[in-house]
Amino acid sequence: MTAPVSDRGRKAARLGLGLLLLAMALVAIALLSLTTGARAIPAETVWGALTAYDPASTEHRIIQDLRLPRTIVGLLVGAALGLAGAVLQGATRNPLADPSILGINAGAALAVVLGVAFFGMTQLSTYVWLAFIGAGAAMLVVYAVASLGREGATPVKLALAGAAITAVLQSIINAILLTSPRTLDEVRFWQVGSLAGRSIDIVFQVAPFLALGAVLALATARLLDGLSMGDDVARALGQRIGLSRGLAGLAAVILAGAATAAAGPIAFVGLTVPHVARAVTGPGYRWILPYSMVMAPILLLGADVVGRVISPPGEVQVGIVTAFIGAPFFIALVRRRKLAAL
Amino acid sequence: MFRISALALCLLAGTALPSFAQAWSYTGGDGETVTLDAVPTRIIAHQDAAAGLIPLGIRPVGIYADSPIEAAKALEGLDLTGIEIVGTAWSEVDIEKVAALDPDLIIGEWWDRNGAWSGGADVEAALAPLAPLTGVAASDSIVGMIEEYEELAASLGADLDDLAIARSKADFEAARAGFQAATAAKPDLKAVAVYAGADAIYFADPAGAAELLDLRSWGLDLISPEGVDAAGNNYFETVSWENADKYPADLILVDNRSASTLQTALAQPTWTLNPGAAAGQVTDWPAFWLRNYAAYAGELEKLTAAINAADPDLAP
Repeated sequence: MTAPVSDRGRKAARLGLGLLLLAMALVAIALLSLTTGARAIPAETVWGALTAYDPASTEHRIIQDLRLPRTIVGLLVGAALGLAGAVLQGATRNPLADPSILGINAGAALAVVLGVAFFGMTQLSTYVWLAFIGAGAAMLVVYAVASLGREGATPVKLALAGAAITAVLQSIINAILLTSPRTLDEVRFWQVGSLAGRSIDIVFQVAPFLALGAVLALATARLLDGLSMGDDVARALGQRIGLSRGLAGLAAVILAGAATAAAGPIAFVGLTVPHVARAVTGPGYRWILPYSMVMAPILLLGADVVGRVISPPGEVQVGIVTAFIGAPFFIALVRRRKLAAL
Repeated sequence: MFRISALALCLLAGTALPSFAQAWSYTGGDGETVTLDAVPTRIIAHQDAAAGLIPLGIRPVGIYADSPIEAAKALEGLDLTGIEIVGTAWSEVDIEKVAALDPDLIIGEWWDRNGAWSGGADVEAALAPLAPLTGVAASDSIVGMIEEYEELAASLGADLDDLAIARSKADFEAARAGFQAATAAKPDLKAVAVYAGADAIYFADPAGAAELLDLRSWGLDLISPEGVDAAGNNYFETVSWENADKYPADLILVDNRSASTLQTALAQPTWTLNPGAAAGQVTDWPAFWLRNYAAYAGELEKLTAAINAADPDLAP
């Protein structure tokens, strides 16, 4: 009679150990990110830069001013994208949901493009706020459009509204970029998604939002499990499904908006990672969410390290590397196992 | 007495020749000769050619630019009233506007490294059927290019003895003398020209930029990067911001085609790894856009002031 309980206990122990191993892998990737770059800096100098910073040392400045902010941004943005993707897939019960499908990326991109084209904003630190406002506004419009009609914002209507609004926003972006080469030149690096050139100020700007979003997202695990059984079952279990979906959506907008603000629109991380997490953990958002949160920055920082060394003396932007890794990986995933019906 | 009669002859020739419908011919930078039945009067010019011709008194009826006019550095300070703008982006030109202007001649610049006219192959394909296309070649000296513009303008009927032209040239000569004096006074001063992007810093190869070759020939010690990028971008060496001090210099010239380039540079934490940048010894590089003496004089004066103010012993 105790078998099911101990089974569950064993599973929890196994998953807990897995999470610990992943966390260690994440630390290893972060160290790799600190020691990898265009300039060869020995590991002990890197350690010295972190523990006994000497502003007169060029190497120490490069670690503190470039690689450390870049690594922290990678960790935060990766965790946010993984969480946002998992929450969105659960809340909309759509296996293809990621920040781009709900108009979040396009909204952020349009706000940045408008700011550059018409208000002459050219600095990353101002992009952060523009992107955040744009992401939130787009998400609100998508939600409002999806809520029209009697049955309210169902998952299918949310996805359709998101795709439609994204198309509208994208066409406006293209119209501006095609008529304003200067704007295109300014935003093209931001638009691909990159961790380079982010100062520590950007970390401070977005960290509060990421922390709030992460707490909110992790708190929705039980609600997402309820939603995954279908609206009728969830309702029968006493769950207020509109509220659940709203909370999850809010968490995703805060996370994805802040991530996009810090690093530009990065594709595939939010889409792919939750599927991998689900393949390891099985259903149950109590584990899917933390796994996604740890796996996504491993992918993002790993892709960034690869991009830094793959074509010297230049760098390949992380958005390009994740797309290169993410797309074939996602196809393989879809082919190998039937995507979990959400 | 002799001078007056010569002047009278010139004036006579200048006014009389067009009415005789004299044939006009010009051999462009691409080596092809264009021949017309009469001296062309309705000219459509690329922004850079317009920047070369307008100060010499040749006013095109239309200009095709590589960007919106207010961002086209080459046209800064020129009177464009009455001139129609028929293009505001590289590789784009409004065919209908061009056709409506009924041009006799189109003047661009020949870029030998690319084997293309200003604006690229698409613009050439669009314009060539409407009127003959010619122009000077982008060369290894801006002064040389200005002299070619003088020759072209003279063939189009410009009066090069105009006082304003002579004054611009005298201003330029004075500015150049000042620049040469400044570089001679600081023979150890090392300079480097860069473009700053959010992704990397780009060190310019002086051999690819006519104005940098001019500056070098007037005594400025400009650093040549070791390895210029192979594909696509063979005017620069791309360097990670981690190695912003790869070419330490006392004076850093930043591409001033867009004001945001300097802003981007200043926002990089490692910009100041380079001693010149750390000391604030940074000035404008008039990159690829100078086409007349007036603009050149102004830029030279800025450079001279920066050299005079610079400490020449920062870079090893």
